[in-house]
Order: sequence, then structure tokens, then C-alpha cells
Amino acid sequence: MKKGLISIAVACCLIFGLVLFACGPEAPKTIKIGINAPITGDIPKVGEGTKFAAQMWLADVNAAGGLDVGGKKYMVELVIEDNESKAESAVKVNTKMITEDDVLIIVGPQSSKQAVPAGEVANNYSTPMISPWSTNPKTTKDRPYVFRGCFLDPFQGPVVAKFIKKEFGFDKAAVLYDVASDYPKGLAEFFKAAWEDLNGAGSVVAYESFTTKDADFSSQLTNIINSGAQFIFSPQYYNEVALIVQQAHQLGWDKPIVGSDSWGSAETVQLCGKDCYGLFFSTHYAAAAAKGATKEFIDRYNKEHGYVPDDVGALTWDAMRIAQQAIKDCGTITGDLKADRQCVRDALAQIKEFSGITGNMTFNEDGDPAKCAVIVRISDQGEFEFYESVCP
Amino acid sequence: MEATSSELSAPESGLKSKIGRLFSRVPIIGWLFGALVAVILEQIVGMPLALALGLPKIPVLFGFVTVLKKPMLVPSTMLFVLLIYFLPIVIIARLSLEPANRLAEKLINFSMEGSVLIHLVLLYAILHIWAEVSDYRLLILKFTLIAIMVTVSLNVINGYMGEFSCSHPGFMALGAYTASVFTVSLFVNDSLFGQALLPSFLGPFLFPLGLILGGCVASLGALLVAIPSFKTRGDYLAIISLAFLFIVKSLIENLEFVGGPRGLSSQPDWANLPIVFAWTVACIWIINNFVRSTLGKALNAVRDEETAANAMTVNTRRTKMVAFMFAAFWAGVAGGLFAHVLRYVNPTTFGIQKLAEVLAMVYFGGLNSVYGSIVGAVSLSILGEALRPLELFKWIVIPLLLILVMIFRPTGLIAFKEFNVKKLIRPKQSPGKEV
Repeated sequence: MKKGLISIAVACCLIFGLVLFACGPEAPKTIKIGINAPITGDIPKVGEGTKFAAQMWLADVNAAGGLDVGGKKYMVELVIEDNESKAESAVKVNTKMITEDDVLIIVGPQSSKQAVPAGEVANNYSTPMISPWSTNPKTTKDRPYVFRGCFLDPFQGPVVAKFIKKEFGFDKAAVLYDVASDYPKGLAEFFKAAWEDLNGAGSVVAYESFTTKDADFSSQLTNIINSGAQFIFSPQYYNEVALIVQQAHQLGWDKPIVGSDSWGSAETVQLCGKDCYGLFFSTHYAAAAAKGATKEFIDRYNKEHGYVPDDVGALTWDAMRIAQQAIKDCGTITGDLKADRQCVRDALAQIKEFSGITGNMTFNEDGDPAKCAVIVRISDQGEFEFYESVCP
Repeated sequence: MEATSSELSAPESGLKSKIGRLFSRVPIIGWLFGALVAVILEQIVGMPLALALGLPKIPVLFGFVTVLKKPMLVPSTMLFVLLIYFLPIVIIARLSLEPANRLAEKLINFSMEGSVLIHLVLLYAILHIWAEVSDYRLLILKFTLIAIMVTVSLNVINGYMGEFSCSHPGFMALGAYTASVFTVSLFVNDSLFGQALLPSFLGPFLFPLGLILGGCVASLGALLVAIPSFKTRGDYLAIISLAFLFIVKSLIENLEFVGGPRGLSSQPDWANLPIVFAWTVACIWIINNFVRSTLGKALNAVRDEETAANAMTVNTRRTKMVAFMFAAFWAGVAGGLFAHVLRYVNPTTFGIQKLAEVLAMVYFGGLNSVYGSIVGAVSLSILGEALRPLELFKWIVIPLLLILVMIFRPTGLIAFKEFNVKKLIRPKQSPGKEV
């Protein structure tokens, strides 16, 4: 027994000795990009869109022989991790990608409840991060390393308010929103402030709320109908949009219902059907009648995955291309991760004009883009038609 | 006679039992020494060894995370784990058998408390060095320690008291928000609470106070559930406690001064590893003492037969109340630590999903057992992290494991086992006696 142990110990020493003198194989020259996506959990469709868009981008880049940085081609590797749509998992995933996988830049997480804590991690480790979809101002505020690919709620609220004023000339608004979800609540508040700015205090005649997973809105809708409002603004997700619109019509509501970018999912029309035809919402891009690069992206996505991508897919695509642009602008990849991350971050902040498929954008000092919002009308064929574009 | 015949008929099993007997004599301190050597070894030669074996980095969670993405790395990862962890631990444990037993004997004769303290210091050193390799490990370690606290405290209610309580995430939320409000309003310049009221150097000293405050608020919440619900039993308590969970969640969602559904961020970074470790140890120690005290035994009596316990002069109502509030206190402290590790809290974190997670840890590990809770919390936390690359299949594998455990061990892996510290750290053979 003793002899056996001693021989094992000797063998170990030998191996360790070898290891100390041996040189590891040269690491292949690749650039790693982390994708922090909610692949399981509450919003798997969002995670799927993120993943597909990122993989399409990767296929493009690697088909061209890699990413060209300062005259040298680097192959790109994506590190796609699932954050289960949970805040703590998003933090774990970001920590893992930064410290273990040595990613150069992170794209994601998508929803604000994950992007806010995950942005803190990225900022602490001086790693650039672009959240394509998070609209909460806190995500990028006072964080020089965190950027985003979409406009913010404080911009979208006034856009919708001004559009309605101009289009219909209404002066009495009703708002119906989910009080327990951060995105609808924030947007409802910004819209209310903007509307009262335009029409004076008290012009929001009904400000009704419900809680996530409620399915019966009849009491709120009855209040709204009785309040004499001329339209409803409801910044809800697609599953609730269908219920709200249908129930409103059943209760005899025939005036407009206006939505926000959360309506822009392929599922909205599928669930809602004819009830949603002719309604307006503000969003990042319009899929129907898109032109140029946007159309190219939509057609390709549709061909590969069998459905028209929603805004998450398009925004992720843009975020990936912004990352690509920044890496290119950086000029050199030294292999020293810390310097490279800093270089990419500086390049990101320097991007003046970027023309993406969701519109042209420039970044301000907080890392937020100034870009146009699109007003979309749901056509009588159930497609998202471009109606007009509102720029800051 | 019996031993010889079994050895003759099955030499392999004989060898196995021989090895088993050999290592059953290693005291806990011997294993700790082995683990300490292993983590130090990893720190020194881990990186070159990993590179030589063709691994991109030191396998962070014993290789699970990398292997599931790149199956080609299985052999080299296994070799790494064998060389860095398995062999050193086994060899050191075996070689130090004699001195370790003698040391354990001496320590325990010298002073029980001192001996426990030395074991804890060794354990902390191992965890610290292990976590130093990567911040990802550190983060997982912190969350795992917090999960242990939550699981052990829930086991007091669901295991020792035998009730089915669903409000534990609610208690965590109360603790998390109370502690966060305490630290953020006092020590951080924040948009919600304005200027810091106290100089920040005081912060780390007052941080425990914030955690205890969080625990106390959670206890108060528990009192609110307990007063109406302890007139009922079984399913009814489950429903009332579930209702409480929803009440807490909606309450926080509608409280604008803590950020509502948008959550509360910018907690200071004070929950470092020593702090979390110390609180976890305190939690296990105090809860273990609690369940082994008269009150704990009374709790078991209430679980088995409340009427009989009442007849045997147990004040059942008081017993249940105290246990419930006690468990809630620790959930609150765990929640406070959770908020400061994550440095962000929002109400949706403490929903049904968290409840399912904690309940799974309790029932997986084993009812009525502090030991089991530790095993359950650690294994499910590590498993959840290690299987992340499987994405959707992770949610098939883990529930399947739970089902298997429930079929073959209906009360959990290590149920109804007393966590006896003295038994754990005592020498496993008397010194000087060679076998």
C-alpha cells in the first residue's frame, strides 16, 4: 500500500515537473464576444431572437474570413450564456464571461431588471457592454463602460404624446398599465408627464393600473370608458395587448388604443387578430415595407428561422454591428485584454454616426444613442406598416 | 471467519471495503489539510498545468462549465481534477492519518471551542484560496453560502416543525429591502434617498446592524403571518403563507420610495467573503443549537402530534411562533446579504421561482436535518451553475434528479440526521494504535 502511494506521489511530481517546463500550445487568435441572453425563464422568445441575430452576425463575419482589425483578420467566437431571465443569474453570467471566458465586449442582457445589475459588473471590471433593448436610464447612468442600442423611456413617452396630439388633436388621455412591471410603469409615467405638459394638468382623465398576469381588465376599462377619454395608451407586452384590446372592444370602446415598442412582437397580431388592425404604436423599426439593409436582415431571418424578427432581433443585430465597428475603430488587438477592452470602450464612445437597421444613431456621454422612433400602424393584413418617423 | 470468506469470494469488494475502512479513519482535519494543499497547489501550478493539458484556463467549477460546451476537453479536464484535487487530497489525507488523528485528539482535549475554531479557520482558508483563482468562483461561493442560510432556516419550519410554509422569499425580500434602505440611505449618495447621512468609514461596522434590522423586520412579518394562521394547520398555513409572499411582493412594487418595480440599486460592496462566511457559520451554529435544544425537541413533538405535545405540557402555540419568527429572522439576514452581494434588488426576484428554488433545496437535501440542508443548498446551487450551458435541458435534468431523489429517498438525501459538531471533528481512531 505504502509503495503504491509513494509511486503515485513520484508520478505526480514528474508530471508537475513536466508541466512547469512545458509550454502551452499557442492560443488561436480569436476575438470573443459575450452574449448574455434570457434563453430560459419568463421571456424565452426574447432570448431566442437575441441568439439567432447574434449567430447570423457571426456567420457573416466568419464567412468573410474574420474581423478585420488594423489589417489583420481575427476569427470571432461567441460565448452565449443563458441568464434565466433572473437578475442574479445575469450578474453571474457577466462575471463568468468577463473573468473566465475573457470576452472583449458583452452584448446583453436585454431587460432592464437584468441590465441594471449586470451593467454594474461590467463597469466594475472595465469591460464594455451594450444592452440592445434595456430602456431604463439607470442601466447606463454614470457607467462609462455601459452602452445601449435603443432609445430611452423619457424619449419614447413624449414621442407618443406628440404624435397623438398632432395626428388626432385629442386632449383627454387614458393610461392602462402594469404597475408591477418596471418597463410599462416607467413608460406610463413618462407619457403622463409629457401629455400633461402638452395639454395641461388633469388632461390624463384615467390612469388605471393592474398587476402582472391579470387577465380581466373590465373594471379598469369601464372606468376609462366612463371617464370620457378619447384614446387609451397602454405600454404593455404582446400577451396583455391582445386581452386589453379585445376586452375594450367587447365593452363598446371604438376609439384608438395606442401602444409602445413592447407591442412590436410577431405574436401581437397572432393573438389579437382583427381587433388590433388599424392601431398605432411607437417602436424601433417597421418590418413591413422596410428597405435596404433592414429588409435584407428581415428576409434572411425569416428564411432561416421561419418568422419575421421582432425589435429585439433587429436591435441585437445593430448592437453586434456597433461592437464590430468599435473593435475595428480600435485599430489593434494587442492580446492584453485590459488594454483592448479600454480601447474598444473608447472607440465605442467615439462613434459619431452609426447607421443601423433600426435607424441612425450617435452616442451621448452616458452611452445612450440619439435615434429616431418609428410610428407603426398595424395594417389590415396584420403587418407592421411604417407610418412616420419621429426624431429627437 | 466471515471477513475471510467475503475476502476470498470477492477480492474486489474486499479491496473496496479495505479502502473504505482506511479512509473512514481519517479525521475531518486530515481532509481539510488535504483540501488546503489541493487549493494551494492549484494556485501555484494550476495555470501552467491547465495550459499544458490544452485547457484554456483553470477549470472553474471542476470543469463542468467548459466540458459541457466542449466535450473534447473531457479527458484533460478529468486529468486536471485528478491531479489537482483528487490525488493530493487522498494522498495527504492518507499520509497525515496518524498525525491528524493525534492533532484532533489533542485539540479536542485542549478545548472544544478552540478546536472548532481551528477547523473553521482551515475551512475558510480553503474557500478563500479556492475563490481567489477567479471572481466567478467567489460570486458563486457567496450565493451558495446565502442559499445555505435560507435553506437551513426554512428547514426549521418545513422540516422540524413539519408545516409547509411558502413565505420564505417574502421574508428574504423584507430583509433585503430593510438592509438596503439602511445602508443606502445612511452611507450612499443616491437619487432615491439623497445625500449620505453618515461618513462611509462607519459603514462596514454598522453593516451587521443593518442585517440584524432586516432580520427583525422579517420576524415582524412572520408574526403577522403567525397570529392568524397558527389556528390552522397543513394546507391552510401553506395558502396563508403564499398569500403573505404575494402581499410583500405587491407592497414593494407599490412603494415608490424604494424604487417600486424598477428595484433598488447602488448598495455598497460590503458583503465580502469573510462577512458572508461568518454570518453563514453563525446561522448554522445558532440554528443547530436551537433545534437541539428543548425548544427544538418541543418543535418535533408538535410536528409528530400536536395534541399529545399539548398534553405533555408543551406550549404548542408559543413554540410554533418562536420557531417561525426565528426562521424568518435568518431568512431576513440572508436576504440582506443577498442584496449586498447582488448590489441590486427588485421585487420579482422574490417570487414563486425563488420559492420553488428554496423548497427544492430543502426537500432535496433532507427534512429535519441541518446537514441535509447544507448538502441540498450546495448541491443545487453548484448544479444550477454547472449545468447552465445546457440551457433548456438544465430544467429537465434538475427536476428529474429531484424526482429520482423523491422516489428513492422520500424525505431527501440526508434526512433526520443530527448535525453533531463534536462527533464531526473528533479523532477517528485512538492515537498510537496501528491497524
